[in-house]
Amino acid sequence: MSVVFTIAKRDIKSYFASPKGGAILFFFLILMGSFFQNFVVSYIEYEQRASTMGGQAPTLEQLLRAFFYNLNFILVLIVPAVTMASFSEEKRNSSLRLLQTAPVKAIEIVLGKFLATAGVMGIVLLAASVYPLFLVKYGNPDGGVIVASLLGMFLLMCSQLSFGLWISSMTNNQFMAFLFTMFGLFLLLVLNWLAPSLSGGGVAEKIIKYIASTDHLDVFLKGMISVGNLAYFLCFTALFLFLTNVSLDSERWR
Amino acid sequence: MIEVKGLSKRYGQLKALNDVSFTVEKGQIVGFLGANGAGKTTTMDILCGCSGADSGTAIIAGYDITEQPIEAKKRLGYLPDVPPLHGEMSVEDFVTYAAQLHKVPFNALNTRVNDTLQRLSLFEVRHRLVGNLSKGFRQRVAMAQAIVHDPEVLVLDEPTEGLDPGQIVQIRELIRSLGGKHTILLSSHILSEVQNTCDRIVIINKGRIVTQGTYEELTRDLSQGKVFRLRVARSAKDALSRLKGLPGIVHAKIEDDHGEDTIEFGVEKSASENAPEDVARAMMDGGFGFRELRQKTKSLEEVFFQVTK
Repeated sequence: MSVVFTIAKRDIKSYFASPKGGAILFFFLILMGSFFQNFVVSYIEYEQRASTMGGQAPTLEQLLRAFFYNLNFILVLIVPAVTMASFSEEKRNSSLRLLQTAPVKAIEIVLGKFLATAGVMGIVLLAASVYPLFLVKYGNPDGGVIVASLLGMFLLMCSQLSFGLWISSMTNNQFMAFLFTMFGLFLLLVLNWLAPSLSGGGVAEKIIKYIASTDHLDVFLKGMISVGNLAYFLCFTALFLFLTNVSLDSERWR
Repeated sequence: MIEVKGLSKRYGQLKALNDVSFTVEKGQIVGFLGANGAGKTTTMDILCGCSGADSGTAIIAGYDITEQPIEAKKRLGYLPDVPPLHGEMSVEDFVTYAAQLHKVPFNALNTRVNDTLQRLSLFEVRHRLVGNLSKGFRQRVAMAQAIVHDPEVLVLDEPTEGLDPGQIVQIRELIRSLGGKHTILLSSHILSEVQNTCDRIVIINKGRIVTQGTYEELTRDLSQGKVFRLRVARSAKDALSRLKGLPGIVHAKIEDDHGEDTIEFGVEKSASENAPEDVARAMMDGGFGFRELRQKTKSLEEVFFQVTK
């Protein structure tokens, strides 16, 4: 098991030894910062309008939800950038041989890589939680909603990362891995909206909607943690980690 | 220590390996010789568990590489043809990482890494990034990765590729010093390297093992009959016609490359027992000024070209 951490530690170090890790954080924080600023400005606008002209004043929870929905979109770009190199780059420069000839099981390699990407995305999420913390400092949002949202986002990230790792394990071209991961994640994101036209209603629509992550994430963003939704993300992650393991193991037979 | 039986592997239409079998005894250094594309790397990849065979088995130190890969890989060090390096790591970090992957115990980690770095003269560059090193250094870092866990079996795919002559000598000495304690399979297309370092030689061509044995066995078995070189002081032409009259002598001719006085001739296997004596007597009796009679040995190059033709 310790070898999983050895692999993960090396990978995380290598993200930040190259400009890649820094660049991802840089663009992410700039984007999120400008969105957050935008939301706060419109929040204040709505609040003033409500106090002068009457009507429903916006809540901080609404602001938070808007912020996390945006984060959800940006992840479609960030996650592929983090996972694309995991296996494809090692295959291309044949450093994967080092792992293949070491007394290490394929699943340990997969878990190591997953832990590394989860670590990098954990840092990204930690950086992103600066913005909700501003709200805590200057307002009084529901702390539970923030915690549940962060947990939901992290689970979503894990499921997306496992999907990205699976794609990366099937190619030796980083760019192809990026494209296919992004396309897949985007599809998962919009599946909820496409469901009616894809299925024509009924049970099929329900199944497609269940596969999409949107509804499950929504529950977390409302501040609720339920076993069913927790299980959805965990199963999704486990399934794609398993597929990655199969893909890596089958490498020997191709 | 290494036991390969009936390995076959296809890449689509191409039959990369066809019933490859050989064994390497404990402590031996065996050279795996073949032209580019003969199947050396494919065999080694299968041996080290990077790639699977269509049929056949490979056993490392008593463990089947497909049945018990973890146990087999624990006892194995592999230097692939393309060095498996992480350019963004320092030499020391990289070798430590390789040692950890191979489960070197924590309390022995530092000494093992330092020993390996010293042994490969990498200690001075241990803080530099692997990606910034020259090709010779990188090759040695890859070598360090293979030997850091002190494996029983070492598989080296063209270990001296890309090194300068001084470094080649260094690596050869290292390989020779590792022999005895470690079992080594070493591939190369440089014949002199194999001739100098290896106890036994396996020659592969187009996915088949064409011949194997010690250097002496290979060079002896492959010369059909024997070839001799004769030097006389006077009238080599007369000596030649006299020689042709002797029983069992074939292909006698004056060797122009070595001056007018050298004759090369072959001796049929049936006559090889008495031929040198007969020839010497004939030369003495004829008064040709007999100077030298020498058996020509075949070089590994000749053997190689003969069997891979």
